[in-house]
Amino acid sequence: MSSSQAVRDAAKQLVSVLERFPAQRIRHIVSFKDSQIERFKRVAGLSVDGGSGNNKKASIEEIKDIINRTSGPLGLQKDLLKKMQAALPDDELSLQSIEEQIKALNSLTSNKYKNYYDVGDKLYKPAGNPQYYQRILDEIEGKKKETFMSAFRTVVFGK
Amino acid sequence: GNEVESPESVVKQSHMKVEPLDFSNNATVKVPKNKIVVESKYESKSYELPKWKEALGELFIKTFRLDMDKVRAGPVAGFYYYSLCKEQALQYEGEELSETAKFFYEDLKLPRTFSQWFQITLLHEWILFVRMRAMPFKYGRNYQQKLVDRTFADIEMRLFEEMNVNSGRIADQYLKDFNTQMRGAVFAYDEGFYTDDATLAAAVWRNLFSGRKNIDMVHLEAVVRYIRSQLYVLSRLSDRDFAMGNFKFVPPNESVTVLTPEQEAELKRKVAEKYEAMDKDPNTLPSNRSKLSYTN
Repeated sequence: MSSSQAVRDAAKQLVSVLERFPAQRIRHIVSFKDSQIERFKRVAGLSVDGGSGNNKKASIEEIKDIINRTSGPLGLQKDLLKKMQAALPDDELSLQSIEEQIKALNSLTSNKYKNYYDVGDKLYKPAGNPQYYQRILDEIEGKKKETFMSAFRTVVFGK
Repeated sequence: GNEVESPESVVKQSHMKVEPLDFSNNATVKVPKNKIVVESKYESKSYELPKWKEALGELFIKTFRLDMDKVRAGPVAGFYYYSLCKEQALQYEGEELSETAKFFYEDLKLPRTFSQWFQITLLHEWILFVRMRAMPFKYGRNYQQKLVDRTFADIEMRLFEEMNVNSGRIADQYLKDFNTQMRGAVFAYDEGFYTDDATLAAAVWRNLFSGRKNIDMVHLEAVVRYIRSQLYVLSRLSDRDFAMGNFKFVPPNESVTVLTPEQEAELKRKVAEKYEAMDKDPNTLPSNRSKLSYTN
């Protein structure tokens, strides 16, 4: 009994680590953050729909956007995805494994590997196309939209 | 001390004992009936060009001043780099897995299917794309193009030969789907690479792990470490070395330690020495010449 209480407390902590995960910049059919929060809330014995239920339903516009962007949702086969989402994992988690999960997530949110294996401007501002990544990010974040001309130029010249 | 562990040892330390949700675990790739001749004879390791052909080729390159950096994209990116990516997770029914393939299928518990193989290959190709973008534009683009062309030519052939698809229309549908997967994955990995580890992890989860719900975060962390360490090695490689095909992926059971400034300077000095000597040597064959930088 006391050990399962410890598991629940650890899972609560895990949920709070997940809540610090960055929200996805563009909407995908499944969200890593949301699906994992749901999963571990169940382990923690928290109510799944309450709490962070800040209107998760996609609007028609967003669904249209996702479908137009790709024919399968960014690298996934739709039927497989549905099965995956429908299945409930029956996690049997020990305190030790939850603590490992927390540790792993903490190294991800603290950017441990991006900082340790620093590739510098050589790869972040690649010589062949220095603005490549910044343009993608600006587009995703809606800071700077591609105009017809800039898109056309990319098609013709490749950058 | 945690910094120098290999991705594989990290994965093996996890105590999470959940079985993967594998819906298609039995759909392994069949060994083709007559282990086909994927490669042309010119690509076989044992093949040697007759001397007179070689000499004629060298003369041709010299006379017409062929841009070898451009020509080299075919054999290096189209053949050598593609075969590196392909072999990482190559698997056939009833055949022993390679050490790297074991990491993906057994340690990370990914399903042994054709599309999983494609996702793993794709991840490695994307890692190379990142380095190719840092080459001078026209060369880097050419390298990327050759790698992608070869990938789809190979997949098309494998669909017919190994997956026993015998309708051109169905094969086309598969190819379109793989193309979509590729664009989606490259886009997601690019975003993760440039922003942060958490975003990269989510991209890995969505693509490599097919959005599996019972993901082990330790596995995810190991893959992010794996990716970033490969990219680190690539970032220390000069254009010349990379373009000549002097790169191999670090196996998952090995770890990458960051170089000290002294080690890095030493490495640069050695590379510069090697290529300076090569460029000066009048006996260097025209086909081995290159204008790409060896100091970057």
